[in-house]
Amino acid sequence: MNVIGKSVKRVDALAKVTGQALYPGDRNYGNELWLKILFAGRPHARIVRIDTSRAESLSGVVGVLTAKDVPVNQHGLQVPDQPVLCGPGSNKRGGDIVRFVGDQVAIVIAETEKIAAKARDLIRVEYEDLPVVYTLDYAISHKAPQLHPNVPKNIAAYQRIRKGDADEAMERCNVVIEGVYHTPFQEHAYLQPEAGTAYMDDEGRITVHCAGQWTWEDQQQIAEALDLPTDKVRVIYDAIGGAFGGREDISIQIALALAVLRMYQQHGNRRPMKIIWNREESILGHCKRHPMTINAKWGVKSDGTLMAAIIEIFADAGAYMFTSNKVLGNAVVTCTGPYDFPDVKIDGYAVYTNNLVSGAFRGFGAPQAQFVAEMQMNKLAEKLGKDPVELRLKNVVTEDKTLAVGTTIPGGVSMEQVIREAAWRSNWRSRLGPRGENDPDFPEELPRLVNGRGFAAGFKNIGFSFGYQEESWAEVELRGQTEIEEVVLRIAGADVGQGHHTVMSQIAAEVLGIEVEKVKLEASDTATTQSSGSASASRLTLMAGNAVKEAAEFALRKWRRNDRPATAEATWLAPKTTPFDPQTGYCVPNFVYGYVAESVELTVDTETGLITVNRVVCADDVGRAVNPDQIVGQIEGAIAQAHGYAVLENFLMYKGRVLTPSLSTYLIPGVYDVPKRIDPIIVENPTPHGPFGARGMGEMPFIPYTPALAAAVFDAIGIWFDEFPLTPERILRGLGKVRSRLV
Amino acid sequence: MLINFTLNHKSVTIDAPPDITLLTLLRDYLGLTGTKEGCAIGECGACAVMLDGRLVNSCLTLAPQVSGRELVTIEGISQPDGRPNDLQENFIEYGAVQCGYCIPGMVLAGEALLKRNPNPTRQQIRRAISGNLCRCTGYQQIVDAIEATAKDRTAHAKS
Repeated sequence: MNVIGKSVKRVDALAKVTGQALYPGDRNYGNELWLKILFAGRPHARIVRIDTSRAESLSGVVGVLTAKDVPVNQHGLQVPDQPVLCGPGSNKRGGDIVRFVGDQVAIVIAETEKIAAKARDLIRVEYEDLPVVYTLDYAISHKAPQLHPNVPKNIAAYQRIRKGDADEAMERCNVVIEGVYHTPFQEHAYLQPEAGTAYMDDEGRITVHCAGQWTWEDQQQIAEALDLPTDKVRVIYDAIGGAFGGREDISIQIALALAVLRMYQQHGNRRPMKIIWNREESILGHCKRHPMTINAKWGVKSDGTLMAAIIEIFADAGAYMFTSNKVLGNAVVTCTGPYDFPDVKIDGYAVYTNNLVSGAFRGFGAPQAQFVAEMQMNKLAEKLGKDPVELRLKNVVTEDKTLAVGTTIPGGVSMEQVIREAAWRSNWRSRLGPRGENDPDFPEELPRLVNGRGFAAGFKNIGFSFGYQEESWAEVELRGQTEIEEVVLRIAGADVGQGHHTVMSQIAAEVLGIEVEKVKLEASDTATTQSSGSASASRLTLMAGNAVKEAAEFALRKWRRNDRPATAEATWLAPKTTPFDPQTGYCVPNFVYGYVAESVELTVDTETGLITVNRVVCADDVGRAVNPDQIVGQIEGAIAQAHGYAVLENFLMYKGRVLTPSLSTYLIPGVYDVPKRIDPIIVENPTPHGPFGARGMGEMPFIPYTPALAAAVFDAIGIWFDEFPLTPERILRGLGKVRSRLV
Repeated sequence: MLINFTLNHKSVTIDAPPDITLLTLLRDYLGLTGTKEGCAIGECGACAVMLDGRLVNSCLTLAPQVSGRELVTIEGISQPDGRPNDLQENFIEYGAVQCGYCIPGMVLAGEALLKRNPNPTRQQIRRAISGNLCRCTGYQQIVDAIEATAKDRTAHAKS
């Protein structure tokens, strides 16, 4: 290997360190018009009337668009259940209903951003408020209003698993571990808020420059809403300032394209359009990680053998589907953890509410589900007086054991190896037996600073799958005469910061036997690239990597046959998977997984409630490390983000309204907050499905962190927290030092 | 109003309204889009620039406040021929760049520190970037890049 396994420098790093990289808000045209979007600002209402006359008469305003201006007033990644603009005159039923505070109501187009904002505030909207559905219990009760047609009890998606007879098996178990767990919202808080520009290009295509995760899908959704043929819409990604799942759905894309279309149709106006959301608009305008309530009951033999699991998952989908059905599927498959249970009963529900929409976020349902699985496992270890690592190894899934869905795991299973690696590298040992209230010798008064350590494992599928046929396209063009002088690599995959473009260049260079510097990228433009699929589900290195490898191999064969230039394209199709059987859940949901295990060492300050993480050891099976430095960056970054999820990031909503719409009320980790030391352990257990054996890995290190940290907190202070973030207040409440009512 | 100041080692005069922020002046009036807006209210540090050698958030600075002073943005950090300077090189070398949106502010924070303190400890480096948020990395590689630059520069100065 010449290039694979080398930490070559990122292909986009030079532009980024010098400030030359163009993010969507950095594109200036000189004659652009500015957009401002009016958000509903209320969680559930019918719009009776919209009066735009004062806004339109303001000097400098070019136009105001409302629901009646949208050709097909609906969109959505999985289900088109969201109006593009809410209001009267919509050509889709229910288009006049606002279902969350971030629903878009009007688009103002003006000479400057300031005028657009002023005009937005002059729009008069008459609302008829409707009852707000903001808790899961209420949403699924018969009393709640139905938020979408044909969705009784607001159950947006339901999935179940029946393997064996879990109720009967549970009765035969000597040990039962039971818990009710609540996981919080999480905001992506990428540093670059949504922005974009759009114009009609010379070929009459509405061209949208923005930052997203899947150019092809953005193009489809824009074309459908505008009732245009797909080839009349072009989507190009500029530099993308982080995504983590939050850019998977539409934010400003359709608004920009609609403004271009209508200004041209109404006024023959071809000026470019520009929009930049501020932080608050960003926080209101894109989805969050699903809050979930999970009831879990595990039955175990007294020797620690897992026998039965009965689990109920309730995920708050918020106002629209986005990817809730897929997130729920992942949660259902992973909620028993990477462990073998003969009898399983799982019921999973994604529930519509009037809260912010929930959607994709690094881990895609697995962090919530495996918080529960790993909490259960660690509680079991306490109860049985066994070592939590040994207990995991006793029950761990292997190639010959079936998951709850009734099928074995394809793609090479390394869970055991990864657990051993993390335990060994962290010098794992644990206090055995009860702590806290179950331990008669546990001290009444703890010293001020107490140390603890905790362990957790995790696994996650690579790709969406569940019967969805994944594919990825690439094209390679070899230029030169006697030797390959330049390689043009055309790929669609989004480099959201993870380093995708660099890794694809490395794979092409490896196949062709050339230096990475010779690879010239033409990326993420629907006019020149087809679909590589989404930059999510840790899927691009494997799937787009396979396509690049094949295209490069074909091109090389043509080159050897003296084609000049030698051009070849390839579309890689993933191995077949199947959807849940509606009754039993039986399926082959995925074709490959990634595996991870972590230990966390921390100190709890029992006076202030502050948690300081001193060391994290993370072992992650990446299959093959194409670029080790980038993998370390992914591991450390995922752990920093998971640390925020576990202890800091307290996203608050009250009756459908956001109480934390800024980075000073919603705190993400700064340099002082992150763990003091992270030891990333790269495990390489190649999968036959990946290019050079590579698996995906971007999400995995996030998954076990919260339960490992919660176990370390238990080790320190003897309290199980079934809810997080573990803010100082929550820790002090657990210690009985704060008693006032929770807001 | 006319605002005179030194921008990236050159004297400039620009006519701009007195009530705009320095961030708006840079991005919208001077076309210097290397300085990023992440929050516009001083929470994230993406818009940090160096004013008279000290790090300031340009979203919290009014444009006229730079009158007669020396301002350096990310565009003024590179070498005269446009190549990256040693700190920028080290950001690339140490894998400190992912999405890159926080990086101009981080580079400026590093330069402002090294100007005052050529031999910072890791703790001092952390302090210097404590007003700059990054959502992609875990900050370690950024601290590494600044630390390596300090060592290189000190070694270079001695020899």
